[in-house]
Amino acid sequence: MSAAQMLSTSLLLGTFVLLAGCYGLLYCLARLRGSGRLGRAAAAAYLFQGLATGLLALGSLELWWKGLLVASFVAFAAIPPLTWRFLERLHAAEEQHS
Amino acid sequence: MFRSQRLALKYFAAAMTLFGIMVAAGLLASTYYVHDGFLLNKLDFSVAKMLHIDTMVIWLLMGFIGSVYWFLPIELERETEGIKLAEIMFWIFCAAVAVVAAVFIFVQYGPATEMSLWFVNQGRKYVEAPRWAALGVTLVVLVFVYNVVATAIKAKKITGIIGVLMVDLIPLFGLYLIAFPSITNLSEDQYWWWWLVHLWVEATWEILIGCIMALALLQLLGTARRIVETWLYIEVALVLGTGILGLGHHYFWIGTPDYWLSIGGFFSALEPLPLLGMVVHAVYDAGAHRMKTTNKPAFYWVMAEAFGNFIGGGVFGFMMTLPQINLFTHGTQWTVSHGHFAFWGAYGCGVIAVIYLALQKARASAQLDGRLWKWSFALLNIGLVGMVGALLVAGIAQAFYERAMGGSTLQAFMQGQSNVWFVQGIVMRAIFGLVFALGYVVLMYDLLTIGKRRVAAAALKPHVAGGPA
Repeated sequence: MSAAQMLSTSLLLGTFVLLAGCYGLLYCLARLRGSGRLGRAAAAAYLFQGLATGLLALGSLELWWKGLLVASFVAFAAIPPLTWRFLERLHAAEEQHS
Repeated sequence: MFRSQRLALKYFAAAMTLFGIMVAAGLLASTYYVHDGFLLNKLDFSVAKMLHIDTMVIWLLMGFIGSVYWFLPIELERETEGIKLAEIMFWIFCAAVAVVAAVFIFVQYGPATEMSLWFVNQGRKYVEAPRWAALGVTLVVLVFVYNVVATAIKAKKITGIIGVLMVDLIPLFGLYLIAFPSITNLSEDQYWWWWLVHLWVEATWEILIGCIMALALLQLLGTARRIVETWLYIEVALVLGTGILGLGHHYFWIGTPDYWLSIGGFFSALEPLPLLGMVVHAVYDAGAHRMKTTNKPAFYWVMAEAFGNFIGGGVFGFMMTLPQINLFTHGTQWTVSHGHFAFWGAYGCGVIAVIYLALQKARASAQLDGRLWKWSFALLNIGLVGMVGALLVAGIAQAFYERAMGGSTLQAFMQGQSNVWFVQGIVMRAIFGLVFALGYVVLMYDLLTIGKRRVAAAALKPHVAGGPA
């Protein structure tokens, strides 16, 4: 891996996780406020994460790590909605219980 | 107030004092980079760095212990068992820390004999304290374990959080025993040493702060116990699931077999996933309670903990965790940048949140708010982000010019050190370090006075109203 490849790959890896965080945060805010605009912003953040994944997949990482990144990208899509749904159910069950 | 809670306040005072020493030692350490030869042969860089790192470990540990002593009697509805012994151990702990710090500053080094290991320095990063002091810390943690377990047994009550805490205390104590042996094979020594450092930081401490945050959320937001405990179990499973074998990312370049490259890289790559779940949970909780709380500083520090952990541990860690990248980045300022952010996010913010929570109860203040905590919050976090940003730039310069382009030769190292990006990064780190230090001063003033100011103002009102016109 050359110096330029090392730098671009590491920055893309950081961006990859940062965009996942932006997607998660915007998704939550969209659900909290019932805002379609924030929902679209969340989708855009996820799309940009997809772009970062694509660039990493075309880059100089070994195939094994590229596969792991694609799998992580898919998993990141599910985390905010699944966690949110789980929390809603947990809170609803608790409210009924009390 | 329970005696255990009074002891907790003492632990918090000691923790915040050590936090200050850590900041001062950090500023000193940053100065060596800017001024070559600073305090040469009087107080070398290695001593300042040692003070900086060791006080960080101890202030956080004291903060955790204090937090548990604060919440334990509330959770189990009785005084902590063996509290007298715990009080004695607190003073022994403080005395040991003071003596070790004095030895580090004034003695610094000893001959290469067993005596130095016992009385001067064990020579292992993070756990440099000489053996007698390490034995003292072991004793303190043992008494702490006894306090928690005996109180739960006496109370005949083990809540979900206390159950997790009790199990976690076993490796917290057990792993520290790895600090003692002196192994002459460097690879073998590093192998076990990382068990102590990584499994404390990315396993037992994570669970410990998870338990403390769970107890804090019960108080802070009045979140239902079942919700908090369910989330704690999930967090424990995810953190341990990814964190334990994430240990492998420290085994890349210390002479261990090749398979650690795959194991370490794989599990480290999974580590951001549960961190994102925690961010979602934090935002959900903030929304569910509409940001309404009687203790705003504690609430904001809890939020800072969730986001700081994600960015510092997740984003900054992921940039350099895959072996192909880590080959160039390990041991540079890049790692230092990640370390600063992750420790602050995962642990520092959490301990400060609990201290605010405890002060609210200790000072019987119905509402804890004001302007000063906002200043300290802003200064500390801006200072921290500035520092890690500057260190990131310096680290990238090292990885790029010294490692990837220069091939890690001595000449490349020297060129890397004089590279303009590295130099400017190091200067900016020192400047933002001052911002952080200012934040610490404001934080200390706020902690000493918050809750008291309102009482003083309230006491003044009738006097003014009834006084001469």
